[in-house]
Amino acid sequence: MNTVEGILHGFSVALRPDVLVYCVLGVVMGTFIGVLPGIGAMAAISLLLPLTYYISPEAALVMLGGVYYGAQYGGAVASILLRLPGTPQSAITTLDGYPMARQGRAGVALFASMVSSFCGSMIGIVVLVVLAGWLSRMATRFGAADYAAMMVLGLVAASTIGSRRPAKALAMVVLGLILGSVGTDVNSGVQRLTFGQTQMMDGINLVALAMGLFGVAEIIGNIRNAEREGSPPHVSLRQLLPTRDDLRRMPGAVARGSALGSFFGALPGTGSTISSFLSYALERRIARRPERFGQGAIEGVAGPEAANNSAAISAFVPTLTLGIPGDPIMALMLGALVIHGVQPGPLMLEARPDMFWGLVVSFGIGNLILLVLNLPLIGIWVSMLRIPFRWLYPAIVVFVCLGVYSVRGSSFDIAAVAVIGAIGYLLAMARFNPALLLLGFVLGPLIETNLRRAMLIGRGDPMVFLQRPISAVFVVATVALIAASLWGAWRRFRSRTAA
Amino acid sequence: MKQFNRRALLALGAVMIGTGMAAAQDAWPTEPLRVYVGFPAGSSPDVLARLITEPLSRKLGQPVVVENKPGAGGVIGVQQMLAGKTDYAFGTTINGPLTTSPRLVENVGYDVGKDIAPVALIATSPLVLAMAAEAAPTDIASFIEAARAETGAIAYGSVGQGSGAHLTAELFADAAGIEMLHIPFTSYAEVTTSIIGGEIDAGFMAPSAALPQVQADKMKMLGITSSEPFAQVPDVPVIAGQAGIPDDFRAELWNAFIAPAGTDPAILERLNTEVNAILDDPEVQKKMLAMGWQAQGGTADDLARRIADDTSVWGNVIDRIEAQ
Amino acid sequence: MTAIGAFVALYSVAQYDIGSLRRMGPGFFPVVLGALLAGLGLMIALPAWHRAGEMRPFDVPQALAVLAAIGLFGLGLQGLGLALTTAGAVLIASLPAPRRGWRWRLILAAIITVLTWLVFKQGLQMTMPVWPDFPG
Repeated sequence: MNTVEGILHGFSVALRPDVLVYCVLGVVMGTFIGVLPGIGAMAAISLLLPLTYYISPEAALVMLGGVYYGAQYGGAVASILLRLPGTPQSAITTLDGYPMARQGRAGVALFASMVSSFCGSMIGIVVLVVLAGWLSRMATRFGAADYAAMMVLGLVAASTIGSRRPAKALAMVVLGLILGSVGTDVNSGVQRLTFGQTQMMDGINLVALAMGLFGVAEIIGNIRNAEREGSPPHVSLRQLLPTRDDLRRMPGAVARGSALGSFFGALPGTGSTISSFLSYALERRIARRPERFGQGAIEGVAGPEAANNSAAISAFVPTLTLGIPGDPIMALMLGALVIHGVQPGPLMLEARPDMFWGLVVSFGIGNLILLVLNLPLIGIWVSMLRIPFRWLYPAIVVFVCLGVYSVRGSSFDIAAVAVIGAIGYLLAMARFNPALLLLGFVLGPLIETNLRRAMLIGRGDPMVFLQRPISAVFVVATVALIAASLWGAWRRFRSRTAA
Repeated sequence: MKQFNRRALLALGAVMIGTGMAAAQDAWPTEPLRVYVGFPAGSSPDVLARLITEPLSRKLGQPVVVENKPGAGGVIGVQQMLAGKTDYAFGTTINGPLTTSPRLVENVGYDVGKDIAPVALIATSPLVLAMAAEAAPTDIASFIEAARAETGAIAYGSVGQGSGAHLTAELFADAAGIEMLHIPFTSYAEVTTSIIGGEIDAGFMAPSAALPQVQADKMKMLGITSSEPFAQVPDVPVIAGQAGIPDDFRAELWNAFIAPAGTDPAILERLNTEVNAILDDPEVQKKMLAMGWQAQGGTADDLARRIADDTSVWGNVIDRIEAQ
Repeated sequence: MTAIGAFVALYSVAQYDIGSLRRMGPGFFPVVLGALLAGLGLMIALPAWHRAGEMRPFDVPQALAVLAAIGLFGLGLQGLGLALTTAGAVLIASLPAPRRGWRWRLILAAIITVLTWLVFKQGLQMTMPVWPDFPG
């Protein structure tokens, strides 16, 4: 079956009434779950999974997929309006989305995020269809050394975003790396920094961390201002449409974000959180006036949102073509297939073309539905800002708690939010940037385990990082990047002393 | 859609019973049964548990609620079951928390012998020794030979330090008199990728993780750790008895139904009978096999023996690893 | 400003402590990172002693109320059930809100409780107790 036949066949599956209904159901649920802070696609899919035993496997997978990428749309809403990431993937969107909302451009930010999400997904689908074979070969070629080198590059590239003082930025990244090392050490099985708590063996819960750092601090800071109720930060529904300047800036950011997202999404173990961070870092690096970032630069919303959506789509590449799930959510999806008697793996495309192409086409349909659904919703989301904050914030507190609880049914994690929230509040007061902490937290364990794994595999020889071509490229790029920043700093220093 | 309605009714029933409105049945808890599972909803231990709890709830005429309390390799599920004693709490768990975790985890907070009442073994799953399709060894004998050629010549992947896959490989290495290099990963997905990519040589893994790659001619399976051939991969030879490996070599993951110690013996008895009846259903067996699990059953004493045996076998392996 | 200094100093001490206790293998990363953080902390704290004003004003009652509400949620959900915990958390969290009076707070607690029950218990079928466990 060639691609055209496959796509046509896919339409015949995806347009079946039952599949279509579950597709709509999935994306609608995904959107709302994404909007609710804390509760993410992972929790929602595992809660929904038992219900899908009773529907056809195509409908089940289409619905669960819809929840997954639908959540990426919704995640941006709370990030932009409340500086409270609905999902960890959209944490980076707070950096410029929230300032835009403060400037009364919430509608524009939401519009940009929805459109970028849609474009990112569409590009992701094209990549999935055209490059699936290449990407899946790529994914098996990436070894531990390559991952380690790539993540170090990502960390270096992104570690100074959103802060004017490098020492403060680095301190946050390092703190994040330390928090990321909490839990059972993969290489030795030793439990680190857990203080004997079994609950901490699997590390600090990412959702609890994101909610505590971003959400709690923001809520506390805003209660004082809740007195000015009924007067939200000058929002007008007419200001929904982006300016010509915005439109000029968006396409490049979307294209770059989608490319990054498609690539990283397809690599097992990396995923959409990282690609959104890297997209942000890239936009800031290449911007002519990087100081606009953090003040409401539209590229800072468009790039990451395109990246996390295209990553959500291309995450299906290893899952569908190799039968190898790249993240826990994909593992759940594979589990769903097995329960329905479909054997995932390299042969699935031949054995069950209806599943593969049906799913691919349903991505397109689902994203179209999401766009159509979400554009009118922007007005509603923006008008939510009209609700007096004193009514809103207790509800947010409760939703954050339940969202965190939903991840693994752990009361301990809710208590952790309180502790992290207290720390996050102190950090926010001292103007530290929580996004960098999150970056260190996400990348740290990946770098450490892959670095040590590479050393093990290389029998203790550090030259493995230069012998493997992929990792050598990343190492050279990292060195070049550091050299460039030092050169820039030295030039600034010289011009200052000369003046 | 009928199924949905039934679920809704059950949920409603749970609320009513929970608030004390339902009539009491004699000698049987009136509250809904809670079954704690130490893994997230949708994971294979969870699906196994639900294959038992759904028919169980029908047979008892009483709601059975699955509580997912994932974390620490299933230990948190057992801890939560013990903490929830008064709620007629039960649990299903994999072997780890009952056999190896007390050795590997700082203060698990329970004593398997004193705090756990075994109910019944649910299912077992062997591991297969898998390699890339183009690797030179073709069977267990040639694999051992290749490993003997040089210490640490074979690098194998596992799903973590102290995981079943790691301990099984070390048990095998001990039996074969070889030494292999252990590379810990976190999931079979990573191990599979790394084997196919040629980064590591081998791995003991779940048959269902290896099977799709074998069918696509990317991997091969040299042997299986159960004492009988396994129905999901009937062609894979049993490792025990080959190339000098003892005949009683056996390494299986298992999943069991347990209760807190001190639960009414009549209740334990009834549960054992019902669980065994459910496991006799060919439909349930078929579903378990599709996931790579062989339905088992048996008495509570059988399970107690299994726990004791495995604790000593794996204890020895852990001693050996720690001595290195 | 002193707050940052004290905070970072305390932090460094804590990190060093933890670092030195670790064995070389698994402890390598935490030790290096701990030392790095301590150094960066000093780099931030020392110049900051001489300057003033990067600190924003603290909202102590607000912070305590929100954190207490989250704490109550963590401790109470299992024992007290969803309904009482939610209502309690809302009441505590709304304490520092500028508007006086009890009526709106009670209404708010009721609305949010019903809403969470609908969304999380009915909609998402999460397993958790709604009411406290009364014996019998």
